[in-house]
Amino acid sequence: MKALSDNALMVKVKNGDQEKLGQLFERYKKPLYGFFYGLTRQQDVSEDLIQNTFFRILKYRHLFREQVDSNGGEFRAWLFHIARNVHYDQHRKKKLPSDDLENWKDRVGHTENKASEMQQSEELQLLAVAMDKLPLEKREIILLSKYEDLKYSEIGEVLGCSEGAVKVKVFRALQELKVIYKQLERIN
Amino acid sequence: MENKAVQELIAKFNEGLADPSEVQLLEQLLEAGKVHLNQLTDLNQLYNQVVLLENAQPDLSVDDRFYKMLASEAQNGKAPVIPLYQRMAIAAGLLVCGFMIGYLLQSDSGKKEVTALSEQVLDLKEMMMLSLLEKESATQRLKAVSLTNEMDQVSDKVTEALFVTLNTDENVNVRLAALDALKPYVKSNKVRSGLIASISKQDSPLVQVALADLMVKIQEKKSVEALKQILEKDETPKEVKSKISESIEVLI
Repeated sequence: MKALSDNALMVKVKNGDQEKLGQLFERYKKPLYGFFYGLTRQQDVSEDLIQNTFFRILKYRHLFREQVDSNGGEFRAWLFHIARNVHYDQHRKKKLPSDDLENWKDRVGHTENKASEMQQSEELQLLAVAMDKLPLEKREIILLSKYEDLKYSEIGEVLGCSEGAVKVKVFRALQELKVIYKQLERIN
Repeated sequence: MENKAVQELIAKFNEGLADPSEVQLLEQLLEAGKVHLNQLTDLNQLYNQVVLLENAQPDLSVDDRFYKMLASEAQNGKAPVIPLYQRMAIAAGLLVCGFMIGYLLQSDSGKKEVTALSEQVLDLKEMMMLSLLEKESATQRLKAVSLTNEMDQVSDKVTEALFVTLNTDENVNVRLAALDALKPYVKSNKVRSGLIASISKQDSPLVQVALADLMVKIQEKKSVEALKQILEKDETPKEVKSKISESIEVLI
């Protein structure tokens, strides 16, 4: 049996079949967690944010609009748009601790604890630290493109800008990431 | 800008030789779709490494919280929950009956009254159980199912409620508890056929295996067809298939 598309499931949720949200939750809890964890580096906060995101989806389900002639990406864009707002609200309410470059060695240790076998290499550890050092809006755009491979056009929908502008943002974010990475490499 | 000039600009950037004005020009070309990010080898490699970074995994409690929230939302507009005052009345009723039974047991003359009161207690317990089964909290529903252990006999209403729980409850532990609660009544044909019918409704390997074990224990040969259907499903895990094959062999 072919699984229902994200949009089809969300339309069912919108029309009152709320249990279908469970399937969307199962599909997106990990990418969402990765997105939030990448932004906050706090497990409990990230879990709260997932909960808040799905709560908002349920609360505002009547606002979901499916475009007939689209390639089916609206739900993902809508989901990450909500996720971004949820994070923004939380960030505004409670200013999350920001990292300073001097503490990066602590972060290496922290990252090491969380790391999988693949991430054991020093380069990847440094890269993880460099990601944490990126300003929030730049980290966010890289995370958006990393998780669930959101297309640039979808990221544009999430951020409210053009596809071309997204490419420039990703370009700038990667350039800054490279600078921070090189900086960390020198300190190391 | 000519294609050759664009290629030269990309090459210059990839060698780390582009000056700020050239980087700005590159941005314009990116925005216009004339240059793609994957042409910028250094940044592309960096991005590929970012993709390799471990994806953090959420804790299982996330599931629990989400499904509680969903159940709570689904509850809105569903069958009304027994109000607090009514639940308190049931609890008080149980307490009073308990005291009276204790008092009456002290005299032979009270035997009839004891029987009558025991029936009332049973009714109250059933009522309590049925109302708890409606709860959104899995723990409360588990409590409801376990209440049947305190009943010597249960009404059809209770077994029906247990079957509904076994077949539809979202929580595997509650479904397993409902199955356990039904075990004492397997002598009843109705319960046996209910259990057989339940096999095809289960998607959890744990419940499927528990049902297969029970079928072997009670030697219910009519369940073989339903068990074979699980074997035929692609999504059934190998371990479950092997366990169920064993059960079928014993039953045949």
